[in-house]
Formats: sequence, structure tokens, C-alpha cells
Amino acid sequence: MKIKSTGSAKAKNAKGAGAKRDEPGYFGRFGGMFAPETLMPALAEAWEAYGRFRGDERWQAEYGRLLSTYCGRATPLYEAVNLGERLGGRARIFLKREDLNHTGAHKITNALGQALLARFMGKERLIAETGAGQHGVATATAAALLGMECDIFMGTVDMQRQLPNVYRMNLLGARVVPVDSGGRTLKDAVNEAMRDWTRTVRNTHYAFGSALGPHPFPTIVRDFQSVIGRECRGQIRAAAGRLPDEVVACVGGGSNAIGIFSAFIKDKGVRLTGVEAGGRGLRGTQHAVRLTPSPHSRLGILHGAYSYVLQDRDGQIADTHSVSAGLDYSGVGPEHAYLFESGRANYTYATDEEAVGAFRLLCEAEGIIPALESSHAVAYAVKNVPKMAAGSVVVVNLSGRGDKDMDSVAKFLEARAISATLNDR
Amino acid sequence: MNRYEEAFKGAKARRESALIPFAVAGDPGPEAFLEVIKAYVDGGADVLEIGYPFSDPVADGPVNQRAARRAIKAGLNHALFFSLVKEIRSFTDIPIGLLTYANTINHLGAEAFCKRAARAGIDSVLVADMPPEESGDIGVNMRKHGLGRVYIVSEFTPDGRMRYIAGHVDSFVYVVSRPGVTGADTALSDSVKATLKRLRSVTDKPAAVGFGISTPEHAREVTKAGAQGVIVGSALVSMIEDAADKGVSPARALKKRVKELKAATRRG
Repeated sequence: MKIKSTGSAKAKNAKGAGAKRDEPGYFGRFGGMFAPETLMPALAEAWEAYGRFRGDERWQAEYGRLLSTYCGRATPLYEAVNLGERLGGRARIFLKREDLNHTGAHKITNALGQALLARFMGKERLIAETGAGQHGVATATAAALLGMECDIFMGTVDMQRQLPNVYRMNLLGARVVPVDSGGRTLKDAVNEAMRDWTRTVRNTHYAFGSALGPHPFPTIVRDFQSVIGRECRGQIRAAAGRLPDEVVACVGGGSNAIGIFSAFIKDKGVRLTGVEAGGRGLRGTQHAVRLTPSPHSRLGILHGAYSYVLQDRDGQIADTHSVSAGLDYSGVGPEHAYLFESGRANYTYATDEEAVGAFRLLCEAEGIIPALESSHAVAYAVKNVPKMAAGSVVVVNLSGRGDKDMDSVAKFLEARAISATLNDR
Repeated sequence: MNRYEEAFKGAKARRESALIPFAVAGDPGPEAFLEVIKAYVDGGADVLEIGYPFSDPVADGPVNQRAARRAIKAGLNHALFFSLVKEIRSFTDIPIGLLTYANTINHLGAEAFCKRAARAGIDSVLVADMPPEESGDIGVNMRKHGLGRVYIVSEFTPDGRMRYIAGHVDSFVYVVSRPGVTGADTALSDSVKATLKRLRSVTDKPAAVGFGISTPEHAREVTKAGAQGVIVGSALVSMIEDAADKGVSPARALKKRVKELKAATRRG
């Protein structure tokens, strides 16, 4: 069945890339504001304030100043020559080095924007969910910088596998609230953050970490992250003398992907590829693949938006699995659902095994330790580049660095070594 | 006259507010749930509020979250839910309100869900994560199949929006006693009186107060403040949980508690 917004019937027929300004909140038929009534005034307030924030020269100048002097933007576009050679030398592979941002991932770009927006609205407290801990660290950082109170909600499973990030958040003065419900990962952290927000909306802004949630968050987060795409477009033209044949990014909620895709959506010759977490493979539910058809992926409503959602036969949201905490989520940002359905972007997946393989390859070939999330995008390049036409140009969004993942990778390789030994017997 | 009109009219004639106890369908198991509902009815409930358990209930506090998990674990699904409602209809004619999340309805399809809900004997539906502007096909089908619409207002709801929401309500306006999620509180929020007063200035549709109402004293206060209905959820669900943990039936204690709550809904 289709859900439409009676408030904006036109939204259903929205064409083109993403939502148009006069049809806020919808990307084709996806998105919306499926939120508890107590949040509705705050969502409306955030949208209205965001419009003014965007038009305010002083605040925009401050945001720009922080992006360049505090985050380290623009991030470099680096040609991974060694990796290209290892993959047959047919294509030129460029890495958009979001891992070189302050705090180690693209997340800081959005966190700073949202923290400034919160300040602009006169709010004193920031809350956020985090999976891998990268958005939590970024939000805690922005809160420290701007002198705000900060609570980060994190599933206890994720706290275990991303312990260094928990320490970092504490050091930055944030409180990490352990979430012990459901699968104790990202989805459950979002639930708990939303619950907190229904109580605290008066003085608190919820800085959604991905292009997820009820309107206006998918739009706000996309806009803040679109700087990745704008920088990249100029950089690749300078470096390769033309637009790329393909832009690749990993997709959990989808903020780094929508950020880099946004600048290329109108360039029909640029293939856009999102890579989801294939976990232990598509048989069963040990994955987080929403946009490749599987029995569990259906249209549904999770955390405020109508999109593709992994669920069981009774409509309960399914728990997911990925070696990377940041991709371990049952839903996907509504604009990705729209880009998928309209055919403008392609979505595929990489398994845990492939991602860890790509992680090691990039370490060895380039001396770059990528985040396990970003390793999924690298894994796609590893599989696909050898099949591309000679002289092709590919950009991979290296959304974060992998220092936080040492423990997860070690455990994964250890488990694999044990099972290999058992199989040998 | 529909069941809600009858219930609110009857309560008014008796100089009472309507007592609306809540339980999660299938918690802690299908049979035990029916015992709970019988205890509510025997204790003097005027309206029943039944939750459809959802894996990710963002509007619910820990008590109702755990209840939802128990119910899902005990096998509650669409088919079982509708058969339980039919079973309830075989022994009572008081209104039954459904509290659910949008994904539950979407999963079955708005048309199919509303048709089956109405046929089973549901009178109203409140979708916790669906404001009127997103009601779309669900709202259309609720009306088509004669299900009353219920929406929430809180102290955060501005007057203009209150009027807009009241305009989309058929059965009653659900006034949350305080912002936040469901859960039993020890003290009643002061703001609920002001919210009720503001609501009265924009609509004369019945108002029922919920969230945090846990004692007969709360029920008395809310009734005094002019509410037509008093919704008691987590406080009763906690009793169901305690009994389930001990492996005993909660029926006697629930019936007694509902009687006490009902007595507190008498005015004057």
C-alpha cells in the first residue's frame, strides 16, 4: 500500500532529485513525518529555523570558518595508484578522504552544522544516537566546542565493539547513555534518543546522525553533507579532467552516500553506487541489506520515515548484523529509497568477509586504514574495477578512518582462523 | 449512537468520567490477556484501550516496551490479535480503542487492516507515530470502515494545531498529562489542567487524559479538571508483569485496582 501525505498531495508525484523546496519532507513517495505528536511542534520549529539559519550570512560564515579551520575541509581527493595497479590497472581510483576530517569521519560536518543550528534556535542541550560511535564522537566534539550539554545514546553491543569511541565521548564531556533494549545496536539507540527528545524538546536539539528520521532531518543532514559532493566534483575535474564514471559510497542510514551523490545526481553519465552491509550473506537475517530485494526488506515506517525497512513476516522490525556498527541498521534514509526506485542510483552489498578483505588491502597497498563502514565501498571497487572499461575513473568515498575498528577486525580474523583450523581437521 | 458516544453519555449522566484501562494484546500470553481484559470489565471499565505490540515503540516507556516484547514472544500477530478482539466482543459491548504504530497497519495494508479491525469489533484507532497530516490511506480507510480516529495533544501543542487535531478526531482527543513516553508517575503534572482548559476553548469533543496516571488520586484530579476519560496504562501493565514473573494470575488484583480507580472517577 502507498502512504501519501494529505498535507502535501503533490509530494507523491515529486519528480527529479530529492524533494523540491515546496514539497518538503518527501522524496517521491518516501520520507514524511511519522513522529509522536509531542515532537511535531519541535520538528516544525527545526524546519522553520533551518530555513532562517541557511539564509543567515553570519551563521553561515561561522559554519564555513569551522569547516575549514576546525574540521580540515576541504578534504583531499587522493588517487590510489597502488590500489589501481593491484586491481589490474584498468581504472583510475580516487579516494575522497573524509577519513582526514577532525574526529576521523564525515560525521563532524553534520554534527557541527546541527550544533550551530541548535545554538541558533537557542537550545542548550544536544542529544544523538550513535552506532559506530563516530557520530557520537562528532556530536560530543561539537558540543564541547560550542559549550553545550550532550547525551549520546548507544546500544550496549556497540559500546563493546567500539569501546575507544566511548572513552573519547566521555573525555569530550558527553554522557554516554547505554541502551539495552532490542538488538542493542543503532536502531535501539535511535528509539531511546527519540524517547528522550519527547520529554526534553524545549531545551534540547536531536542531532540525527544520518539522513534518517522524520522530516526535516533527511533534508538537513543531506544538505550539511552535500559539501562532500561539491568539493569532490571540483577536485575530480581538476585531477582527471572530467567527471567520474562512477561514484561509490557505503550506505547505512546513508549520509556519506547522499552527501557525495548529491553533487552528481544531475550528471546522468555518472553511475552512483551505494554499498550496503551484506553481513554473513543474504540467506537469513544476518545482514543489513535493504535495497537489494530479499524476503525481509519491505516498505515500512521506522523512526519517522516511510522507506525500505527490514522486518519479519508480522511487521516487527528485524534485527540486523554487520561487522561494521555504522551500517548495522534496519532502515535506510528515504532519499536513498527514492534514488533506488527511480533507478538513478544502484545499490549492492559487500559481505563482512569482503569488507575485511578490502580493509586489509587498502592498509597494505596505500597505507590507509579505512573504517569498516567505508571498507564496504572499497570492497565494491575491488570486485568491480577489474570489469570496467580501460581508462575508467572511479571515486570511492572513504567516509572514515579505521582506528576504532582494530578490535572488531582482530576478532573477525581470529574467528575465521579458528574456523579454518577446524575445517582443516 | 456509536459505542463511544454511549459510553461518554452514560458516564456524564452518572456524573463520572469514563475509566479506560490499557493492556498490550497478547501480554503475557493470549489466554492470560483475555483474563486481564475480563478483570478490567468486571472491575467497571467504561472503555478498553488495547495496544498492538511493536518491536520499536518510540512513544512507550520501559514498562510497555517490556509488555510488547512479552506479547511478541508469546506469538501475537495480526491473526491472533483480531481473534482476541473478537473474543473480547463476545463478552462485552463497551468501546475498544486500539493503540498501534504506523508500520503495523502498513504491513498488512491500510484497507485490509481497517476492514479486519472493524469486523473484529474495534471502535477507534490511535496511531502513536502518525500525526493527522500523515494519515493518508490509513485515515481514509479508518473512516470508510467506521473506525473512530483518535489523536494526541500535549502541553506543547499550540492552540491552532489543537484545533486542527480536534478537527480530525472522531472518538476522543487523547491528552497526554505530560510530555515524554508512557509510564507511571508518582505525581500528576500541573500542566494537564492548563492543557485541558486550552482544549476546551477549541473543541467540545470528549477528552481523555493518559500517560503517567497511576493512582485513584490521579484519576480523581483529572476528572475534577474536566476530563471525560481517564486512561490508566503502565500502572496496570506493571501489575500484569509482576504476576507473570511470579507465575500467578493478576486477575483478582487487577479487578480490585480497576474498581478503586473507577470509584475515583465519580465527580463531587
